[in-house]
Amino acid sequence: MDLLIWPEWPLALGALFPVAIALVATALVGEAGGRFGIPRVSGYALAGLVLGPLLLGWFDANDLAGHRLIIDFTIALVLFELGIRFDLRWLTANRWIVATSVGEMALTFALTFGALWAVGTGTGIALAVAAIAVGTSPVILMHVTNELRASGQTTDRLLALCALNVAVSVILLKLLVGALHGVHSGWQLALLHPLYLLLGSVLAGAVIAAAYLGLRKLVDPASEQGLAAMIALLLAAIALLTALRLPTALAPLVAGALIKWRDPRPHLWPQQFGSIGGVLVIVIFMLAGAAVSAGELFAGAGLGILAIVARAAGKFGGAIAFGPPSGLDLRKSLALGVGLLPLSVLALLLAEDVRLLYPDFGARLLPIVMAMTVVLGLLGPIATRRALIRVRETRRGDLP
Amino acid sequence: MSLETFASSRALSMGVELELQLVSTHDYDLVASAEDLLRMMARKDVPGDVKPEMTCSMIEVSTGICNDYACVAEELEALRSALTEAARKLNIGICGGGTHAFQDWGERRIFDKPRFHYLSDLYGYLAKQFTVFGQHVHIGCPGPDAALYLLHGMSRYIPHLIALSASSPYVQGKDTGFQSARLNSVFAFPLSGRAPFVETWQDFETYFAKMTDTGVVQSMKDFYWDIRPKPEYGTIEVRVMDTPLTIGRAAAIAAYIQAIARYLMIERPIRLAEDDYLVYTFNRFQACRFGFAGTYVHPETHEHRTVAEEIEASFARIEQHAIELGCDAPLGELLREVREGRNDATWLRERHTNGESLPELVMGQCVRWMGGEPM
Repeated sequence: MDLLIWPEWPLALGALFPVAIALVATALVGEAGGRFGIPRVSGYALAGLVLGPLLLGWFDANDLAGHRLIIDFTIALVLFELGIRFDLRWLTANRWIVATSVGEMALTFALTFGALWAVGTGTGIALAVAAIAVGTSPVILMHVTNELRASGQTTDRLLALCALNVAVSVILLKLLVGALHGVHSGWQLALLHPLYLLLGSVLAGAVIAAAYLGLRKLVDPASEQGLAAMIALLLAAIALLTALRLPTALAPLVAGALIKWRDPRPHLWPQQFGSIGGVLVIVIFMLAGAAVSAGELFAGAGLGILAIVARAAGKFGGAIAFGPPSGLDLRKSLALGVGLLPLSVLALLLAEDVRLLYPDFGARLLPIVMAMTVVLGLLGPIATRRALIRVRETRRGDLP
Repeated sequence: MSLETFASSRALSMGVELELQLVSTHDYDLVASAEDLLRMMARKDVPGDVKPEMTCSMIEVSTGICNDYACVAEELEALRSALTEAARKLNIGICGGGTHAFQDWGERRIFDKPRFHYLSDLYGYLAKQFTVFGQHVHIGCPGPDAALYLLHGMSRYIPHLIALSASSPYVQGKDTGFQSARLNSVFAFPLSGRAPFVETWQDFETYFAKMTDTGVVQSMKDFYWDIRPKPEYGTIEVRVMDTPLTIGRAAAIAAYIQAIARYLMIERPIRLAEDDYLVYTFNRFQACRFGFAGTYVHPETHEHRTVAEEIEASFARIEQHAIELGCDAPLGELLREVREGRNDATWLRERHTNGESLPELVMGQCVRWMGGEPM
């Protein structure tokens, strides 16, 4: 009697089963929120927190590291799409858009740095948090605008400013890490490293863009083959970027923008791509919760809240100061400031990466960023959604 | 509310209105940016006027009062270049065409103005479904009775104008089979169609009084006729044209109407009769559906010809008037298009049947309108 053909009791289900349950639970929480007019991403973020070490402990930091590729891929996908929506011609036609972007970033950076420095966090930490605060969550913005089928001046600017501030945020943080390099190992490295990151990302972006435009000649992006080719392209890009030690976020964004620049035709996302992206977004929020533990969250709460307030003041100030001359009215300028609030997975990953390189510094930085992303990941999407509905830029009829 | 007295206006002076589409440069679907564009245009010094329309993704531009083709062409050009500059600042596209090829009417928003809200409440989905884009041409008349003669005389040329301006083959992402599907949306309104057959302003006032007594209408604005008198301007307004894809074509069509008006006013070639209207809707439908290839039944002889042949014959009749008005050159270009069987609807169909997607097609429309391409 061979026992290997009969199931053991209790059943040995392995690791897949809880993941499946968690995925369904996350999706359902998002759906439930959707019924009450809460953006689905807020629900996903909440479910991620509940499943993570904060409450249930189904996932922990190891899961985050183990599934890093999925998260990187999803963010690359979202940023690629964001890049394609980002028209460089617009920046040349309307310089005030650039001014708005520079204004909101500079103000956010200055206020966040100033606030943290004033309460004595130390210059390094204050600078790092300020660099992360400059960015806005691309995943949340893309998800919320797609959910509302939003379009219009506020939406366009929101996405353009997000593309710019994500890029600047990533570079700023790398510069800072470069400066920390300088502390450790001489000025040449501190100078060369950020330069390498920047130029490398732009070049890699150009290669991805060229490959995409080449592929588009061969296969229709809306077909199944086109979809497979696109996924393969992004996977190859991530593999290459990782091997080159370049940030995986920047190059896809640059690639998207270059594609729109070279070929202004409408690059519409195939339907299935949207579905795959949607599932992946659920997965990364489910996993992002794994990075948040109660102890660290409470440790960072005070400074996190302070940083959130300073950051919000910066975003509002920049949008209200430069919105009107760029062709927005005051109401839409305010909505733009509110819309820029979300901060989420990408910020958390940036802080994680700093911790991998500099464990001590990272351990002080991460709790603050964690507190920020928990609050702005849950409430940010709601703010963005309300703002877009307020300025009537949704195509989905009148929403609650 | 009674009918205004018929204002005096310079005979044959004209004004042109164009309803235009505002689209996103990302997906080329309609985008609700009228408010932002109007705010930007308010700071510019342009001839004529730029106004909101029923829904937030359309605007209406109009020239001032012009005496000839050159003035219309010049003012439309000034409006085009100012609008294009503003649109680039807002990252939106502006294009002509009687319908948007793939918009979903359910996603439209009513522009925030009391009259538009009133119309929306009254007409329900028809209001949003009325996101269609037309060209209107006003022609100044020496007096109210002359205006009515001109209105009924011009009615014979409705199929010509439809075929020349047709630019709405696609609706809700599908080919309608029509060259101008836009007019089908207009037809849904209870007070659309044609003006009643009355030949004197006195009779028209009587008719209007009877209509207001029924409580069905309050003002001339409530009639959506193909041609309607505009007593406050002292004009008749021709409203059957789709907005052409280029301002060049729009100006040429206005010139054609002006030349026909001069021919009608000076030669008085037609003896009007109620029975002229027997073939009216049939001719109108044929032009909407088949364009130049449609059948035109002559209202008096009942002879059947194609719309193209009929247009050609009309050019011969009005040639001298066109020369007097200084618009024989643009009319010559229009005639060449008729002979080649080309109009905006055929341009659109050709591109799409050759595999260009509808969003790319709308992008092509924006390039043509914003780039100020010739006809």
